[in-house]
Amino acid sequence: MTVKVEVIEGGIPHQKIMIAGLIATIVCLYLSYLNVYTNTAYFSFFGGLAVVAALIWGSHTIKVLCSYGIGTGVPSAGMIAFGSGVIAMLLATKFGNAAPIVALILAAVIGLILGYLANEVLNMKIPVMIQSLTELAVVGALTLMGFAVLITGSFTFTGLTTGSVTLFGMISMPSYQVSFIGGGLVAVAFLLGSIAVQHPFNACLGPGWKQDRMLMLTAECGFLSMIVAAVMSFALISAGAAIISLLIALIGWVYTYCQYIELSKRDAYAWLDAKPIPDVEGH
Amino acid sequence: MEQIVFGIGITALAGALATVAGSAEDTESNIGSQGDPNSQVQLAPQMGFVHRIFNKAVAGEPPAYALWCALGAGLAWAFLAMHVNAVLAIVLGSLLAVFVQGIYATTAYLGRTSSLAKFGQPVYVDILKSMTTVAMAHAFVAIFCTVTICYLINAALGHPFPLPLLGFIWGIALGAAGSATGNPYYGKERQYQNQKFGAGVPISASGNIVRYAEAGERNSIDNGFFTAKFGGPASGLCFGLIVFLELWRTILFEKVGAGWGAIIVGILIILVFTIIDRYMEVWARKNYGPYTAPAKEAAP
Amino acid sequence: MTAVAAKPQTGAIFNPTAMVVGIVLLIILLGIGYYVSPTLGLAALIGIVIGGVLIGFGVHFVPVGGAPAAMGQAPGIATGVAMLAAGAGLAGLFGGAWAADQGLLIAVITGGIGGGLMMAITCMMVNFVYVFGMGIPAASGKVLKDPITGDSQPEYKSQGTEGHGLPFVSFVGGVIGGILGGAGGTLIYIELLDLYKATLPTVMNASAAQILPIAVATAGMFAIGLFLVNAVLTAYNITGTIEGPHDPKFKRWPRSVVASAVASALCGLVAILIVLI
Repeated sequence: MTVKVEVIEGGIPHQKIMIAGLIATIVCLYLSYLNVYTNTAYFSFFGGLAVVAALIWGSHTIKVLCSYGIGTGVPSAGMIAFGSGVIAMLLATKFGNAAPIVALILAAVIGLILGYLANEVLNMKIPVMIQSLTELAVVGALTLMGFAVLITGSFTFTGLTTGSVTLFGMISMPSYQVSFIGGGLVAVAFLLGSIAVQHPFNACLGPGWKQDRMLMLTAECGFLSMIVAAVMSFALISAGAAIISLLIALIGWVYTYCQYIELSKRDAYAWLDAKPIPDVEGH
Repeated sequence: MEQIVFGIGITALAGALATVAGSAEDTESNIGSQGDPNSQVQLAPQMGFVHRIFNKAVAGEPPAYALWCALGAGLAWAFLAMHVNAVLAIVLGSLLAVFVQGIYATTAYLGRTSSLAKFGQPVYVDILKSMTTVAMAHAFVAIFCTVTICYLINAALGHPFPLPLLGFIWGIALGAAGSATGNPYYGKERQYQNQKFGAGVPISASGNIVRYAEAGERNSIDNGFFTAKFGGPASGLCFGLIVFLELWRTILFEKVGAGWGAIIVGILIILVFTIIDRYMEVWARKNYGPYTAPAKEAAP
Repeated sequence: MTAVAAKPQTGAIFNPTAMVVGIVLLIILLGIGYYVSPTLGLAALIGIVIGGVLIGFGVHFVPVGGAPAAMGQAPGIATGVAMLAAGAGLAGLFGGAWAADQGLLIAVITGGIGGGLMMAITCMMVNFVYVFGMGIPAASGKVLKDPITGDSQPEYKSQGTEGHGLPFVSFVGGVIGGILGGAGGTLIYIELLDLYKATLPTVMNASAAQILPIAVATAGMFAIGLFLVNAVLTAYNITGTIEGPHDPKFKRWPRSVVASAVASALCGLVAILIVLI
């Protein structure tokens, strides 16, 4: 018990989460490149794992930023993260193999300038603003890239704009329309990510906030988003690859959801079923 | 001519669906205490008022509904690309989107309530079980109607945007209309039923929400029951008018005057609503009267 | 790290150095735009900057009260400012995108009217709920008299609140905000769409009809992304709530215009580079 409390109170420092999240995301994105070597789409699920890693990092950044009381709700932080991230990510896809690295650098530059604008021009004067918006833009770009890999099996511009016509002998639609960008799935990925990145802190905020519970919830949100993204990927990659992604997402989601409920049980004041409001003195 | 009649029919259908969607959206968010009234549900235990009300802080209503509708539309798009029948595709997409919505609702309640442990607010598992399902049912109606509107706009009226992008746009508009119209009615009228009618809630009363019902303790289904009678239909009317008038003016007047027809009709509609609004404002001032005597009369 | 206490309230003070740096950044970004594509690219970039500024300026008009408005404790619409503006602006973008082939001017005005229409209906329904659902007249907390109608406000404010509902000036502000937001979003979309339609066929080596879905979806996604960036930046500028054009916070708009111009130029440049490199 004593050891546990210590871990909770101190928590993992933000720097550590950031570095771990960044490395895990980039590595997972590049592991999906196995798709090209093996000429299949079976490794698309690495994109989903990249999403989970990036989201864990991003939700902790949002915690750091929003503990300053920025005047607007927590969700807006997710929106600006992905609004700047989607722009960086789409340009980065033009760079072929280097796409994840380019997305990282480009998003960092955009986030840096947006952070400067918010902090200096808009005079917000929040110490962590510049760093947080930089991190959030990178998280947004890499999460979107992860979703793109998960759904299409590729992170190049050609892969995202050209639909695979192999499945079920696609006939009626032109191939550009059945694609990640042409079909507008990028909008779904945008929202899946932007809600998943802000929800954990929004849901867990309060005096009893605990880092491990929030991060577990982030992982849960990530896997939940991965489930539906995997369902959408049936339209664009082979059924076998999509089933692999779906299975991994389901296993990850069930595990993290149960863990999250356990952690909530641990932190809750009481866990009651069909009981009245307890009598508090004075009522 | 036939094209226009067809367009009007689709417009009317879309408007009717939007009304249902707006109404269901507001009821759903009130059952979950989503949106701005959520702040009071969150505040109450800190002021010593432990309650049995659902606390579903997923996000504000506009971004949350943008996700549910875009997700429903995206899944429907994927099923359509797999050559599933359109109606089935929309239903399946909405079902999966509702699944995501339900999971987000449970994690939000567990997270917020656990973080309030310091104030003695317990987690009620029966709230999770009974209220999440009711909220999901309403959310399904809202999502299904909105995705259907998007499909009609895309497939029948020929809007260039792909289905998921339309889901994004109309989802965020649905959330904005529903929260703007429905929130005050739930926040002031229902949560603070114990305060004076016809006046705002004094800031000093914040947190003192009504926690007991006619019999027993109030839960969020009671709240949905109450707001479904006024706040829900008003939100539905709001979103229905937005969708209907936006489509109607485009379908009928787009070709008039090289595009200027739709613009002029739009301006006229805005003016009509401005006049209605001004009339209501003056009517309220005249009939309800000031709360205190005007300043110059008070000072002798 | 002691949370909220660390936030100094600097109010309407401008930061001249940062404003100058912002304008210099804007010129540099436009210069890069000129360097990579002197004609097509720069024209699109300028259109995007104007669109972004329209959005940033327009959000200041939208009367949003946040959480207190839901309890009738503060005037305005009870929701988040960035999201309400996005709802209106994207409804406008929807109309504008539909009218895209009728020319830039018609499309932009149609988009603006679409946003204004959405806000007019929403604001009317807000007052409807306040007046007929809750029996509360509209009252502003920030001014003594409505600047448009001249109605006196303080005595219609119920005890212990800062006002409630939407006074006429807030209604008008909401409509103007919707119009500016819708027009700005549409302008960004049309500029990008025209650029992509002109360049994508060569970039992707396909016919114009084939790349149309890509052009539409990419331009639409960029327009939404830029809209959200500008709306959230403006929400930061007014710290989340504003009553409308009569609110003292409205005077902060120059900060937001500079920030929106730079942010739009930056994001716009990236969006343009996608077809130019």
